[in-house]
Amino acid sequence: MQKKFLLISAFAAGLLIAGPAFAHHGTAGYDMAKVVTVTGTVTKVDWSNPHIVVYMDAKDAQGNLQHWSLELSAPLLMQRFGWTKNSVKAGDQLVAETHPAKNGAPVGASGAATFVLKFVVNGTPLPVVGGTPPPRE
Amino acid sequence: MRNCRISFPESLAVFVSLLCCASVLLAQTAAPPKPANAPAPQASSRLPDLSGNWAISPGGTSWDPSDPNGTKPEHLPMTPWGLEQLRAAKPPFGAHQSFEPNDPHQRYCDPPGTLRMYSYPWQFTIVQTPAQVYLLFEYLHVWRVVTMDRPHPKDLDSSWLGDSVGRYEGDALVIDTIGYNDKTWLDMVGHPHSDQLHTIERLRRLNHDTLELELTIEDPKAYTQSFTSKKTFKLSSFPMGETMCSLSEDQSFQQNIMDRTVSSPPAK
Repeated sequence: MQKKFLLISAFAAGLLIAGPAFAHHGTAGYDMAKVVTVTGTVTKVDWSNPHIVVYMDAKDAQGNLQHWSLELSAPLLMQRFGWTKNSVKAGDQLVAETHPAKNGAPVGASGAATFVLKFVVNGTPLPVVGGTPPPRE
Repeated sequence: MRNCRISFPESLAVFVSLLCCASVLLAQTAAPPKPANAPAPQASSRLPDLSGNWAISPGGTSWDPSDPNGTKPEHLPMTPWGLEQLRAAKPPFGAHQSFEPNDPHQRYCDPPGTLRMYSYPWQFTIVQTPAQVYLLFEYLHVWRVVTMDRPHPKDLDSSWLGDSVGRYEGDALVIDTIGYNDKTWLDMVGHPHSDQLHTIERLRRLNHDTLELELTIEDPKAYTQSFTSKKTFKLSSFPMGETMCSLSEDQSFQQNIMDRTVSSPPAK
């Protein structure tokens, strides 16, 4: 187990040396200087290429229901970070950090080739990748 | 009976050939872990051993050696035609990055091109045989064949990967490729190329855990002079996996994620 953790850490460290976070697209749509926390219920998970997408229902500060879509990295990279396709499922309670879309849409980037932000599923944190993230809101 | 007789020089040649084959193939088999800075292993007394799973780190999205992240894509010495192509590109990375890309790979799952395969953060492996060398990429399961010690064919048809011929020079595998079509980009920041593209890749092991690629690009239709860039790859302990481009999955992602970040948000 320790060996596996070291392998993942070394892999992630190797990735972090380089610049861009995403493999498939850049960061044009996201505010990468900001991190927000979204709390709610997972409605669907697309464990597929080019990026995994987790859909969830969450309420905003005014209590309005929002349908969030959170992007993660590709399945193969997430597996190498220690996730599995059963790590998060429809019906799970989720507390997730994400870099929000610049245009205010409920879309965010929670993981990519060089980072995975905090994802707590039914009270259990999943493997996080990367260094110190920007200030939270 | 006379036809079955083999002279001593002939039998010696056969023996030496078998020995070379065996040593190259033996080099592909698993070996106990070695220190990262251990000397690069040799496939035989003459051939470098490049076997292993090599991890491609994210970054280095541009082949401009002085601007590896494409912050100034116009910096390369471009012809007017090349500059026109670059300005029309909406690439996924670099100074002109867009979430509404016209990147043929991103929009249609077209093959991204030989040189972009070195930019996606997955792994590739190298299989050396005496007559061919194969480069197998995790991303899209693309495989390239490099035919050893022969010239390029005459009247070559253009293709996505071009025609690659190889030779060993000291500790390096040198791959010379022409015959590319003009449907791909050089890199992730939208640098173009034409069907006159000619590339020379020199792959060598700096040490046991590090593979270096030195890439020389010349394309007189797109660039006024050739340029050379380098990348290194680390030996990986992960087995080779699968990452595919599926048009249906890509379109779903484009609609559910990327399009929503470039349109006006819904009224509250």
